[in-house]
Amino acid sequence: MSEGLQRRAQGVPLGRRLLRWSGPTGWLSLSTIAILAVLVLPPLAVLLQVSLTETNADGSAGALTLRHYAQLFADTHLYTSAANSLIFASCATLVSLLFGGTLAWIVERTNAPLKPLAYLTTIVSLGTPYILYVTAWLFLLGRTGPFNDAWRNLGGTGLLFDVYSLWGMIVIEGFLWSPLVFLLLSASFRAANAEMEEAARMSGASIFDTVWRISLRLAWPAILAMALFVFIRNLEAFDVPVLVGTPGRVTLLTTDIYLATREVPPLLGHASAFSMVMVVIVGVLLMLYGRVSRSAERYASVTGKGFRPRPFDLGRARWAAGGLILLNFMLVLGLPLTALLWVSFSPFLRPMRWAGLRTLTLKNYTAVFNVPEYLSLAGNTLLVTAASATAAILITTVAAWIAARRRGGGMAVDQLATLPLVFPGIVLGVAMMEIALRAPFPLYGTLSLLALGFTIRYMPYGMRYAYSGVLQIHRELEEAAGVAGAGPLGVLRRIVVPLLSPALLSGWLFIFLIGAKELSMAVLLAGPGSQTMAVAMFDLWVNGQGGELSALGLLWALLMTVFASAFYFLARRSSAAAYGR
Amino acid sequence: MIEPRRRAWLVSAAALVLLAAPACAADQAMIDAARKEGSVVWYSGMIVNQIIRPIADGFEKKYPGIKVQGSRLSSSEAALKIINEARAGKPQADIFDGSALVYRLQAANTVENYKSPSAASFPPGSRDPSGAWTAFNTYIMTAAANTDLVPEKEVPRSLADLLNPRWEGKIVWTNDQTSAGPPGFIGAVLTSMGEQAGMEFLRKLAKQRIVNVPASQRVVLDQVISGQYSIGLMTFNNHSVISAAEGAPVRWLPLSPAVELPNPGGLVKNAPHPNAGKLLLDYILSPEGQMVMRNATYLPSNPAVMPKDPTLLPSGGTFTSVVISPDDTAGKLDQWVKIYVDLFK
Repeated sequence: MSEGLQRRAQGVPLGRRLLRWSGPTGWLSLSTIAILAVLVLPPLAVLLQVSLTETNADGSAGALTLRHYAQLFADTHLYTSAANSLIFASCATLVSLLFGGTLAWIVERTNAPLKPLAYLTTIVSLGTPYILYVTAWLFLLGRTGPFNDAWRNLGGTGLLFDVYSLWGMIVIEGFLWSPLVFLLLSASFRAANAEMEEAARMSGASIFDTVWRISLRLAWPAILAMALFVFIRNLEAFDVPVLVGTPGRVTLLTTDIYLATREVPPLLGHASAFSMVMVVIVGVLLMLYGRVSRSAERYASVTGKGFRPRPFDLGRARWAAGGLILLNFMLVLGLPLTALLWVSFSPFLRPMRWAGLRTLTLKNYTAVFNVPEYLSLAGNTLLVTAASATAAILITTVAAWIAARRRGGGMAVDQLATLPLVFPGIVLGVAMMEIALRAPFPLYGTLSLLALGFTIRYMPYGMRYAYSGVLQIHRELEEAAGVAGAGPLGVLRRIVVPLLSPALLSGWLFIFLIGAKELSMAVLLAGPGSQTMAVAMFDLWVNGQGGELSALGLLWALLMTVFASAFYFLARRSSAAAYGR
Repeated sequence: MIEPRRRAWLVSAAALVLLAAPACAADQAMIDAARKEGSVVWYSGMIVNQIIRPIADGFEKKYPGIKVQGSRLSSSEAALKIINEARAGKPQADIFDGSALVYRLQAANTVENYKSPSAASFPPGSRDPSGAWTAFNTYIMTAAANTDLVPEKEVPRSLADLLNPRWEGKIVWTNDQTSAGPPGFIGAVLTSMGEQAGMEFLRKLAKQRIVNVPASQRVVLDQVISGQYSIGLMTFNNHSVISAAEGAPVRWLPLSPAVELPNPGGLVKNAPHPNAGKLLLDYILSPEGQMVMRNATYLPSNPAVMPKDPTLLPSGGTFTSVVISPDDTAGKLDQWVKIYVDLFK
């Protein structure tokens, strides 16, 4: 018996701690921590430095100061802003959870019709450029949008909706992140064991009871992890609060910070101080979450015993479920897409009215096809995002396994891999720029630098997908492999990765699709030869070529959809073997 | 009497003829050196398809063997990149332009003075006497109105007309905190009306609850076109002309004073391709490069090239303007931003 096992037998806590570090698994933990530290700590150090120093005119760090932190609390409307931020972040999280979660359960666990539509909605809406999506909603719900127009035609006065308000922000942000929830939870539900649901149904439980007492409880750690994650994301979001809130004078904690990053050159101290506060908050939240999911084995439903997920028969309710899929399609995709189509076929931005039909034109599409540079931009973008999605998923698969199995340093691994979530894109961009400029080999301005930056930025997303996936797989499968002589890498490769494949695929797809939209880092890190599509689209937006932007954005979303779907269905077919379907 | 701009055109045409021969001879050494450098990197705030690409094509055709690598960056990103690259001792860019850029670069000591021979005929407001910057083009910022929502008899004829209660909540502008946004408007009002009368006007204007849109001046104009608001302030007047030609219900309003902004560009200190950089600067400022601006309906800064629609400039006679140079911005922007934050945010 090894020394470690003896200690474990004696129940000495120190020994147990040492055991977690012993053997090949310890080496795997250490090397994962080392890789994560190399990726995450340098940007964190830059963030800390910027938050604590004045910036000189030549960009160098000046005197130490606590001014940036003081500024956070100097906001004259601090309480209103904080309250708005909390309401915004929690309500938007709720919208995403309700939409994405319900849909994921229906698609993965039931025999509802129209399932492919739910995937299509998710992929196309994630592939649609961010600016376009928000603009489309502002256009639809705005003063001259079809809803307010119809209201006036029916004899109403004033506005039916004022989109430039807190609820407008909540709806748009909620829709924006519901695909993330859908992808993550659909992976969880797919790997859930149907036996318990069937047993509940056979014992006479109603559909609602079964969902409430079995399906939701089983996915609880995944739901909680994701709710936390989306909440943090919403709390530090800049774009929607600024784009939607500013015209309505609704201020959030991040409003002033965004404005500071638009100065020439950007004032990053304020944003960095806010991020450092968020780092602490996220650290505490992750620790609390660690406690909640401590007994995560209770939730593992992928076990060694005849695991065979089957869809759940909804009976006549399956048509209602299909209706929900259709409603989700209409709200998350159909409406904004219609608005974008309208804008892309209009000669200039005009309200959706019958009179406008006569002036529809193809000129925006012709203009897009007349710019050959878009081809190389598309190539760059696909290359960079595919590479970073793959790298991020590779790293986080190992990291999530170590964290979920509470190997040595599990908490450290989780914290490190989640940290980049709170780095604002522009701050991470500046940090990467500094690092690349000091690198002894040519890195600055290359596609590799972009891929590296994207990998760091999107690691937290990969982590959430992989982590929730690992929690569902019961240890007994890995222990069996261990007994049969497999080392940790063997266990990972032969047991964990195949069973985890639905989660990993969803994670890859998500990073691939949202990475293509990343702007602030792409602008700072790209050289003249490594520009990406998002930069070109931003260019069109700033120049007010809304029609051309919509045309290009729709074509781009189409291309991303084709790529993502092809990847997804090929990979899913090969992973289906692991689940026997 | 010949109008000033026209006279300038005649003078500079004559100057060009006189200078043409020696200029070519002097340039040859620089052209050879630039060819050895092989390429030139341009950090630009201008639109790739409209300006950067056509200028690069013209330049590469005129000087084969020198490749133009353009990067589109906003002033804030360009400042961040140029300043950090200089500090790391690895400058990447040769030339730059951007409406709010040059004075920040000067503060970081990253600008190389260069007096382009192409700019010899430029008026003083369009170039820095020491050669730190020269205007690549000119922007005129004015008000614009939606013609469906604002009937002819109600169109504001002066800034004072904007105070009419009927416009409350219906006026919009960008929240861009540079001279091309509300701070520039505030600067022009204070300059033309004087501190006291100017502040009084601004306080009354603030009561109109002007809507701040967190987007570019062009996006603000699009919101006026789509009817979300009746009047936009601080919009580029050439944009209204472009959209109106496509049938959009919009017109720009010649309210005096408008804000006239040179778009300053220049040479980066310790540029990796200094000769190619100078050559490209000369080309952009020359009548040839300025024709590209004109054809994209921008307002050329070279007095030898008239804009497509001369009434877009104050010299067209329908309005007056206050020129806000990079030096004015360097000295007063912070003060104007403070007034904006106090009154309008």
